[in-house]
Amino acid sequence: MSEKLLHKFLNHEITEAELETLKATDVYREYIKIASHTAEMKTPGFDKEQVWAKLAEKKSAKEKKTLQLFNYRNLLKYAAVFVLLLAGYFYVTNLDTSISADLAEKRSFNLPDNSEVVLNAGSKVNYNKNSWNKERVLSLEGEAFFNVANGKKFAVETAQGIVSVLGTEFNVQSRNNHFHVSCYEGLVRVSFNGEDIQLPAGNSVIIEDGRIVARQEISGTKPGWMLNESSFENMTLENVVAEMERQYGVTISLENVDEKMRFSGAFTHKDLEAALKTVCVPLQLKYTIDKQRGIIIYGD
Amino acid sequence: MPHEDNVCKESVYQKIFNSLSPAIYNFIYFKCGNSAQAEDLVQEAFIKLWENCEKVTQAKAKSFLYTVCNNAFLNEVAHNKVVLKFIKKTGPAINEQSPQYVLEEKEFEQKLQKALSNLTEAQRTAFLMNRIEGKKYREIAEILDISVKAVEKRMSQALESLRKDIKNI
Repeated sequence: MSEKLLHKFLNHEITEAELETLKATDVYREYIKIASHTAEMKTPGFDKEQVWAKLAEKKSAKEKKTLQLFNYRNLLKYAAVFVLLLAGYFYVTNLDTSISADLAEKRSFNLPDNSEVVLNAGSKVNYNKNSWNKERVLSLEGEAFFNVANGKKFAVETAQGIVSVLGTEFNVQSRNNHFHVSCYEGLVRVSFNGEDIQLPAGNSVIIEDGRIVARQEISGTKPGWMLNESSFENMTLENVVAEMERQYGVTISLENVDEKMRFSGAFTHKDLEAALKTVCVPLQLKYTIDKQRGIIIYGD
Repeated sequence: MPHEDNVCKESVYQKIFNSLSPAIYNFIYFKCGNSAQAEDLVQEAFIKLWENCEKVTQAKAKSFLYTVCNNAFLNEVAHNKVVLKFIKKTGPAINEQSPQYVLEEKEFEQKLQKALSNLTEAQRTAFLMNRIEGKKYREIAEILDISVKAVEKRMSQALESLRKDIKNI
């Protein structure tokens, strides 16, 4: 009972009469004295103003820090990562697709629009997958046969000229100074050295050093190399040998031979000896196949 | 997610500081008996409140501050034996009392201060929150996160311990 009154007293809820009752007991009188005296006390010096001033100082220091961290360094960090990712994305998506055929290898593949490309040995094609549908352009080093799907302009860029078509089958050979374009179907435009010529089906043009050296009709529906045969019309020996090196993946050296002498004919891709014979015999040249020194073609 | 009535607004934050900082200070002082330390902890608690202002609503600010202070006290303050020193409120003039009475009173107060230092931290905090700050049991219970019955118990124990201690000193 008294305990309850004590708590009432401490909670400031006691009535005068109840307080008198409580004070009747010695122990509780002492309790009240202790409680009352304690209530008279206060904690020493809390300087609210000073603490607030210090707090404001720290607060603004932290704010500055966080502001700096967020706005400057972090933002830079995020920006750098973002730029890197973006650059990486663009780099990857704009990266050209490159397809090449090694020596002694032919390779056929389709472009994104299903145009067909057959690469002859030692040739390389570069194009961009992403922009293909906007612009059908590819670059070619070496020789390739194209069967182009109908559509917008299709261009083959080489070091020596640009071949552009609308939809056709044609062969482009771009080796060293030799640029040979053959059209098997449709119409092909060849641009080189500031000139423009139209090449109708069944025709081919040979351009050397920026000048037309021959225009001729072609037989067959595919270039010879696709039937495993390289055929030449008035070609320098140098270029013929280079083609043989590509087809067989060998090294051929010429000794005591005029490399500018001309050759017309064809050699097979299946038998090296036979090929060497087809080239050497009509030109009255000889050859040896040496394990160490490779193949040597020599004159008298 | 930030609450809309959070305490990030400068005016709200300052209002909270003005109304709560003395009580927070007392709360820590009751525990540790060191005014410099108590001031530091008040500062730290309010810095924490500012840092977390987006997450703390105005209604939650009080319990946030007490909790932070209590944690800081438990973590950081060396549990030395505390010696509390209180100042007497400047009450009504007491010239009417006899010198002997004044002396007795002074002596009693000194004993009381010593006895208060000897209380357990839990008892002292509850007891002084009630006595010095005039907080009701319910409010103390809320702040300390205990039941009203537990507050009652602490109060009774504190008084009993104080009475015995004063007699022995």
